[in-house]
Amino acid sequence: MYLDMHSHSVSSDDSRATVEQYLKWIQVLRKRGHVIDGIVLTEHRKFDYDKDYSALASQYDVVVLKGSELDTRYGHVLVYGVTEPLTNDIDFSNVAMDTRELLKAARQHGAYAVPAHPGRFGIGLTEYIQQGEIFDDVRIVERLNGGSRKGENERAWELCDDKGYLGVGGSDAHLTSHICVCLTKFEASIKTEHELVDALLSEQFKPVWLEDATNNSTSEGIIK
Amino acid sequence: MATELDYDRSLHGIEHEAGPFEVTESQIQAFSRGIAETNPIYTDAAAAKSQGFQNIVAPPTFCTIMVHRVELPDINLKFGGKPTGGGMHAGQRVQSRAPIMAGDKLTASSHLKDVYPKTGRTGTMVFIVWETTFRNQDGMVVADVQESFIRRG
Amino acid sequence: MLYFEDVELGDEIGPLETEATDAGVLEFCEVWANRTPNRFTDQAIAEQSNLPGPIVPGIMSMGMMARLLTDWAGAESLKDLDVVFRQPVPHHKPITIAATVTDTRQEDGENVVECDIMMTGAEGERYVGGKAIIALPSKP
Repeated sequence: MYLDMHSHSVSSDDSRATVEQYLKWIQVLRKRGHVIDGIVLTEHRKFDYDKDYSALASQYDVVVLKGSELDTRYGHVLVYGVTEPLTNDIDFSNVAMDTRELLKAARQHGAYAVPAHPGRFGIGLTEYIQQGEIFDDVRIVERLNGGSRKGENERAWELCDDKGYLGVGGSDAHLTSHICVCLTKFEASIKTEHELVDALLSEQFKPVWLEDATNNSTSEGIIK
Repeated sequence: MATELDYDRSLHGIEHEAGPFEVTESQIQAFSRGIAETNPIYTDAAAAKSQGFQNIVAPPTFCTIMVHRVELPDINLKFGGKPTGGGMHAGQRVQSRAPIMAGDKLTASSHLKDVYPKTGRTGTMVFIVWETTFRNQDGMVVADVQESFIRRG
Repeated sequence: MLYFEDVELGDEIGPLETEATDAGVLEFCEVWANRTPNRFTDQAIAEQSNLPGPIVPGIMSMGMMARLLTDWAGAESLKDLDVVFRQPVPHHKPITIAATVTDTRQEDGENVVECDIMMTGAEGERYVGGKAIIALPSKP
């Protein structure tokens, strides 16, 4: 199952794509031979409890899940399986929240937090690890990010090799045509946020580029 | 790190006005040269008139050079207790509602739309968003412009 | 003339290959009435703003991007251009502007084409990116 684990709709301040436009674009990608099963909307600094994309998901035959991308003291973090107890515990709008507290709180409240674009210059987890910070609770990071600049995915890859982290892939799309440039290939079938958290806990997944998301693909998600 | 935003919140809901200021043929031609625009309706009055316009037409983002005619107040922004500086342009939106032509006399009205923090490659930033509406001499809205600026603590 | 019926989802617009010169930026600053020297025209002032050199004004980049679309669709077709300035744009370096049609629909009685538009550098740097909305006539 191929899921884009990182995307932003117009609900994020800097995105210009609606959810429907993403789903229409996925039809274009499917016609071109790509296998895409779903996307996760990871809006900046919030969780959209009130947004219901089920009708669109059904109309376009794409799984649409909701998550968040939070700003923290040690970089951005993707949160999957957001629950009310978690948003009651952590202020999602706080751009300086404690990263380690977030990682712990997510697990305590049934969610899963994944450091985003860890190789990103200036703000990726790699920067802080190089400064001597230790993150005992990290197991999975975003190894492939579609919005990365030259060298950043490579740094994320090295971090994973060095620390033994597992990696997911996501487009970090803010524009329609950027959706699904990177994906995560899961062994499990996923239809809900809860099943997504279970799939992450199963550790049966890998990041892939869009061109490797085809019916005949056997790629290992090679860095570009 | 403290992250409270402190600024003059009374500015929300206040319109700041400027104008009227005349759009001249030479301004439109200079703007067109600046963006290497060669379509004759943006550079030649006769060509514009042959296409049914009253005069030379301004390219669709022309009014972005007029936004600064509105004198905007300092919002006295402090982030985490510290004054902020900088002022890099983060984003821009132009919605063209009607053609702007040489000879038009425009008025502009701006208001503060939003102020919010976020983090990125270059650290923590605060975004300040202003919206400006341009009207012509007939009171018709010709363009709406939204500008975002970044400031840092 | 380009008609609404001629456009399909996924169509590519451009690319437009260009660059901004020192002289062009100076002229733009003059018509903008942005007093020079400034970080768009002067090396030392740019460095004080932690820039490697003088940069292209965001609204000048935006004007250049609009040109791609008005060349493609016609002078009065561009209704909405909404961009984010992601990285500083240097002078005298190759710039590529290209767009992709991402939606076509009828809205309030108009034929609307929406596209993603990007300004990139020679090494793939994403300088400016955003979205545009264009109105097109129907075939007679």
